[in-house]
Order: sequence, then C-alpha cells, then structure tokens
Amino acid sequence: MDYNNGLRYCYNSRFLITLVTGVLLMFYYKPYPDVAYQSIKDIHFVVPTGQFIRNIHRWAANIMVLTVILHMARAFYTASYRAPREFNWLMGIALLAITLGLSFTGYLLPWDQLAYWAITIGANIAQSPRELTDALNITQYFDPGGLIRLLLLGSDTVGPEALIRFYLLHVMILPLMLGMLMGVHFWRIRKDGGLARPVDAESRLGQLPTKTYPVFTQAPAKTYQLATIVKGRTAAVGRGPETTVPSMPHLFYAEIAVLMFTVFLCVALALISDAPLKELANPAVPENPAKAPWYFLGLQELVSFSAFMGGIGVPTIVMIGLGLIPFLDREKTGTGEWFGGPGGWLLVKWSTVFGLAAPILIETIAIRFGWIREWFPSAPQIIVTLINPATILTLIYALYSVYLVKRYNSTRAGALGLFTCFLCGFLVLTIIGTYFRGPNWVFYWSPADWPKH
Amino acid sequence: MDKNKHLLLWSSIAALIMLVFAASKENFWKDWQQIQKSAHADGQTIDVRLRQIVVPELKITDRCVSCHVSMAPGEQAMTGHGALVAHKNVVHDPTVFGCTICHSGQGLATTKEDAHGTVHFWPEPMLPKQFSYAACGTCHTPLAIPSREILNTNKTLFERYDCLACHRLDGRGGTIRPDGGGMEGPDLSRVGIKGYDFGWYEKHAQKHQQAETPAWKNSFGLINENDLSGINSFLATRIGAPKLVEAKALFNSLGCLGCHKVSGVGSDSGPDLSLSGYRDPGQLDFSNVSGSRTLSNWLAEHFRSPVALVAGSQMPAMGLTEDEIELLTMYVLSLRRREVPSNFFPRDHSKVVQFGEREFAKDGATIYGTFCASCHGQKGEGMRYAGTQAFPAIANPDFLAAASDEFLTTSISKGRAGRRMPAWEGASGLKPSEIKAVVEHLRKLGATNFIAEATAPRWANGDVKLGAKLYKASCSGCHGADGQGGEMASIK
Repeated sequence: MDYNNGLRYCYNSRFLITLVTGVLLMFYYKPYPDVAYQSIKDIHFVVPTGQFIRNIHRWAANIMVLTVILHMARAFYTASYRAPREFNWLMGIALLAITLGLSFTGYLLPWDQLAYWAITIGANIAQSPRELTDALNITQYFDPGGLIRLLLLGSDTVGPEALIRFYLLHVMILPLMLGMLMGVHFWRIRKDGGLARPVDAESRLGQLPTKTYPVFTQAPAKTYQLATIVKGRTAAVGRGPETTVPSMPHLFYAEIAVLMFTVFLCVALALISDAPLKELANPAVPENPAKAPWYFLGLQELVSFSAFMGGIGVPTIVMIGLGLIPFLDREKTGTGEWFGGPGGWLLVKWSTVFGLAAPILIETIAIRFGWIREWFPSAPQIIVTLINPATILTLIYALYSVYLVKRYNSTRAGALGLFTCFLCGFLVLTIIGTYFRGPNWVFYWSPADWPKH
Repeated sequence: MDKNKHLLLWSSIAALIMLVFAASKENFWKDWQQIQKSAHADGQTIDVRLRQIVVPELKITDRCVSCHVSMAPGEQAMTGHGALVAHKNVVHDPTVFGCTICHSGQGLATTKEDAHGTVHFWPEPMLPKQFSYAACGTCHTPLAIPSREILNTNKTLFERYDCLACHRLDGRGGTIRPDGGGMEGPDLSRVGIKGYDFGWYEKHAQKHQQAETPAWKNSFGLINENDLSGINSFLATRIGAPKLVEAKALFNSLGCLGCHKVSGVGSDSGPDLSLSGYRDPGQLDFSNVSGSRTLSNWLAEHFRSPVALVAGSQMPAMGLTEDEIELLTMYVLSLRRREVPSNFFPRDHSKVVQFGEREFAKDGATIYGTFCASCHGQKGEGMRYAGTQAFPAIANPDFLAAASDEFLTTSISKGRAGRRMPAWEGASGLKPSEIKAVVEHLRKLGATNFIAEATAPRWANGDVKLGAKLYKASCSGCHGADGQGGEMASIK
C-alpha cells in the first residue's frame, strides 16, 4: 500500500475537525469588540467542554497549516506536478493560500492583545506598498497600499469593521472556497490518472496479496468508437490500469485510520495545552514584541528590514515561482520517485546545507553589524527598500538554482535546489522570529535577557 | 490493510477515552461543583448549579458565588467547604453592585486561580485582604480629609469626650452600662457620607439640661468651641472606611501633590496618580521587588526606594516607616476610577467632578501638608534630598520676620523664577483663600509675625574723597583707573 496519501488524508481530517469544532464554537461566539473577549471567556469557563473544544479547534488549525506545507513538499519531491497535473498543482497553491488566510483571520476573533496587535501588524504589511510609492513620490496619485489596507480592515484602524470582516471570512467565505477547491483538487486526482507513479511501478509492487481482487477480470471482447473529450483517437473501454484495487476496503480503511489517528492527536494535544488568551485588547498598550502566528513569523523577520519587500515583494515572488514550477520543468524522468531526476537525494542534501547556511549567515551579519541604514544613514529609501536580507537571500537562492541548472543540464535539478533552499530559509527565519526576537524586535538569545520596563 | 485496521482501532479507542475524560473533567469535576455538593443549609443539601450575579449597567458578570454560595443574594450561611462562610455585613448589596466592583479579580471565571485573577494576562487581580478599603476608591472620593496629625488630634477629642458611651463607631462603642441604658445614639460610622445634623451639639446640650435619666445627665458634658470644631471635622471623615481615611490623611501630610496630580489637582513635576490603582502587574518590572508579584508589593517597594524600580526617577526615598508605607500603598491602590453610569455616582464623587469640591480639608495645616511638606518639610524646616538643590526653611523665624504676607502670597501664587517653586495659583493649584490659609499656617509654624522696618528711609550724603579712595582700592582694577573700562565695561 502506498502511504503517500497520508499527508492529504491528514489535511482533510484537520479541515473536518476544525469545521465541526468551529460550528460548535459559533453557537457561543459574538463578533463584536465589546463582547467578543467575554464570549471567549464564557466558552472557556461556562460552556460545557467549551475549553476543550476551543483547544481542539486551535490545534487542528495549526496542524492543518503544517500539513499543507508538508503535503506540498511531498508533491514537489515526487515530481507530482508534471503533466497532466499542472492545474492540480495550482489548485494546491490556492489551497495553501486559503489555509493561511483561514488561520490568520481566526487569529483576530478572541479580541485579546495578541489578536489585536498581530492584526495591526498584518494590516500594516498590507499597507507596505506605500513604502515603495513614497520612495518614488507617487503615493498621492497611486496608493495601492492604502487601498488594500482599507479593504482588509473596512476602516482606518483595527476595530468593529475589521472584526466583522474577519469573522465573515473565517466562518463562511474561506471555508466555502476551501471546500470547493478541495472538491476540484480531489476530482482532478482521478481525472489526471490518480497518483503519480514511476514507470516501473508494476514491477516494483509485484504480485497482489492474496484475497485481493482486481477490478477487471477479463480483457474486453471488442472495441468501441466513442465521441469523447479525452486526448487520443479512441477511449479504452473495459480496461483499467493493471493492479488497480477497489476503493472499498483498501482506500476506505486507510482514510478512516488516518482520520481517527488525527482525532486522537488533536484530542491529546488539546488536553495537554490550552489555547492562549491574553488580556482584553487595549489600543493604548502595544504588545512588545507583538508577534504574528508562527507561520508568518519568518515573514515578520523579513518585514523588520523592509515592510514592502519582506511582506509583499518576496512572498509574491515565491508564490509566482511555485506556480510556475510545472511549466518550467518539462522533463519526464523521475516522475513519481522521491527526489527523482538528476542529482537526486545527494543534490537535495547539499541544497539543504546551502539553504540553511545562507540565511544564517545573512541574518548574523544583519544582527551583528546592522544593515544599509546603519552603514549609510543618508542612503535613499529606494535603496534601503530594494537591498535587504530578503532580496539578497532570494537572489542568492536564484543564482544557486541557475548554477544547478547549468551543472546538471536539467531544470528539475534547479527546481529541487530552489525549493529546498526556500523551505530551509522559511524554517530558519521562522525559528529566529519565534524564539530569538524580543522587544522592539531586538535579537536576544533568551527571553530572560529581555529588558525590564 | 491489517495495519490500517489496527491503527483505526487503537486511535478510536484512545480518542474515545480522552474525549470521555475531558468531558467528565469539564462537566462533573469542577471545583465549584465539589464545593456545592459539600454545602448544607439547615441540614439540607443545596441545588448544584452555576450561580452568577449579572449587572448589565456595570458590565459585570460575577461567578464568584458559584463557590462562595453563602455570599450570593438571598442565600444564608452554610456549613461545609471553607469557601462557604457568609460575607461580612456590608452596606452595598451584591445584587446591585456585584463582587468585582469592590474585590477586583476575574468575575467571569469558575476556577479559583482564574477567579482571583492571580494568573498571567489578567490585569486586575483580586485586592489583598488588608487593602480591601482601597476598593472604595473605585467609585467614591473621600472628602474633607485633614492631615494625619489633625486627624489624630480630632480622633483623640472624639474619644476623650466619651462619645462612644452612647454612639457606635466602626464596630466600637454603645455597650450596655451597669446602671442600664446604652446605644441611645445612632451609629456614626458613615455620617460623613450620609450627612448628619449640624445642630447636633445644641440639641445634645438641651437634652443634657432637661434630662432626668442618668445617661444624659452624666455621660454628656459641655464642649468648648475649638474642640467642637475638631469633632465636627472628625465626623465629616467617617465614611465607613476608617483605614482609607487614615491613608489619605497620610497622603495629605507628605506633600505628594507638590509633585503629583490627583483628579486634576496638584503639580506636573511627577506622573499623574489619578489611575495608579489600576495597573496591570504584567506590565511592571519586578526584578527589584521581593515577595509576590503583586501591584501592592510593587508600590510598597517603590515607596521604599523609587529609583530601584523606576530608572531615572526623581522621587526621593522618603524614609517612611513600614506602617506609613502600608497606608500609602492603600491610598494609591484606591486611585482606581472605573467608568460607571451616572445613577451609580456616589454623592462625594459627584461633588468633586461636577462642583469642583476639594478632597482635602480647608485648614492651612492640611493644605500645607498636602502641597508644601514634601519640599519645605513637615514643620517648615526645609528639606535636603540627595541630588537636588536644597529647599528653604520657610518657617524660619528670621525669614518670617523679614517677609511680609504680601511677599509670601505672591511667592506662592506666582512661583519663583529660576527655581523649582511652581506657580500655585491656577485651575490645578490653589485658590486665593487656600493660599491665605497657608500663609497664616506659616506664621503659626514660625510663631513670628512680620516686623516692618521701623526706621524711615533716609538719603545718603556722599563723600567724594572717600569714594575716590574706595574706587581706587576696589574697582579700578577692572573698570579702569578713571572708569574708562578695561577688563570690564566702562562706567563713564
């Protein structure tokens, strides 16, 4: 049995769990600033099993984000994005974006200090194109930053309009979009011929186990001419891929087992760890440091150097790059194999080393010696915006990828290197942002070193 | 296939067990449920259910009474768990005010640690028991509080005239006497806030004259005018919170408003104290505070050594005793203004915010103690703090003999240019009548009146020869032999 489906099953289960617990929480939550916090407290203290359900909801959401990233990595490393699966890969990218949006919109709803200030940071990042338009002196004519922020918050500040918008996105718009896209995602798996498999899959798998019955028991007696939209001249009738087995019970037991395992995991984590709830949101007392959810902390680390490049520029490049992968890599070999293609596992290993070393080195320089604004105080803002650890790191990764393409004469090799580097960069930046950044976003080895106030 | 079936089986069993455990724990094993099960009222068990006091106008939902069931409105004393003791008699009905309006803490919570607010991320922990009177400051503003010395004097008068023979005050007095009688008079604990008959003395004297019973005949005696004024001042401070009055009297003795502001009155040299009783302990620095991380501990340590807690603070160490530190902590904790609807405004708070009534008594000694004592000393002896310029001894008899009342009044009103003396005349400072009272108090401190110069001014007859000699000896070095200038300016 192929366990490559495990991550997808895990993701589906997470969505199901968050859906069920979310509906239960929706009975008690009130999306208004003056009562939202109190309703969360009521869920915690009064609603039967409310605290437990809220914990499950939060843990399922966090693991959902983690799983979607791992699933994307699995699909990439087995080259499952190649023809005819390009469209499905794009669907996956869209699901990644919506998952992040779902988690982020849920962050504001408790209306505590963590929620309020994290959303304030997010809104300011949404406004960060103004950094570029200000540097170019065109903000009064063309201000996309302000427009995006206004659309997001419904106001100039984080307040009732923002809360109701985030609530609507979190409980209706994004879940519906996610459900529809998941439907398309699953359907395309069937339409594109199931999982990507290596060309010698049949010989690798060998004979079917006993008591397993193939779907097709005899060759067709004759052929038919059909009007059809599939490629090729004729449709094969009465013939399926060899060694195909029925969904029931093979697929069913696999899926249901993963579902129950993820339920177990969520319940266990919910018992061990409570969802955090800080003080009631107080606009007069900023959280310092105010940190976004963990999966955005790498971005926040980059934002500390340039709001526009770190918050919008580089993520846009990354998402476009992810979307273009299946159209740039037109090779055939290695499909369905882990780390398939020239270079293989060794290439990924060395790319990991490079991918970890580069951000660590750049961050060390920035932390220890500062950056352009410290070195050249009078430098123009446009230079400070364009040259910073975010853009330098992206450039280094791109050059490394080009080098690999030339060395192995393969776009797959370049893609392997680039993807691995970005994963490692994401990991390093997230760890720095989560554990080592203190008040005023200054680097500290330990929270015990944070300054008193 | 078999592996999947096993994973399904054991995951299901484990998840089910944990779900049942969590549901039971949250629904059947709550602390308040155990406490209510152990409760007995008149020998019978009580209904086990969540109990709460909801006051929408104050935005209060207090579930303290889920554990402290005896304190719930309409309930009686119960036996069982220690939390079931009845509440002391208080004048404010919990049905109208809830619990957290006085006690603070997290009324929404149903577990002990969360409800008492001694957890992370709850900015208003429960007030320590010894500071319970500080809660009055949430709504009330004690008025007409004199300095501590005057308060103690007035209290001594009250005790010495044996008012407690017939009256009760803060739980004392009004006991049964051997010859019969007792508690002839009303309880005086809250007359300062409810009001009392200002003609009480004349009526007492009249009853004394006409009385046949031993109580009126023997227990009441005539009071002279000065003492009567002191007793009336003492009665004005009886608001049902004796410790808080004492604390505020201390505050009005140390000259705190010389640097700080409270309710818009005082100086801007230091931070405004109007809301100092509501500070989130999570936002404070406890690295130099020993003991538990509570606001009261932080304040006490701040009074001992301000610079240790607030870097760059100009507040000197006042050298207070531990009793004084505790009282001052009590008063600062009482500076906790909560916005309440106007129908909940107590009379004293309305007087302050709507009619501008002063929070301190009007006599010169109290006003001096409230504004001047921190710099010029309790007795006007002056003050010298490390790191700052010395403050003058304005009760010095020599100074008072040379300074006229006009001079003193102008100095207080307009301040002193180039010095730290601010202009006290103004909206947040003193009124003219108050400045006059301070000047009179200074005269009493120094026991000296202004001595006007008796000698009439006279005109001097110059001696040119002597002048030339003096000029040559003392002035010509800089201004030139003939006054033409040199190192210094020409004086021709």
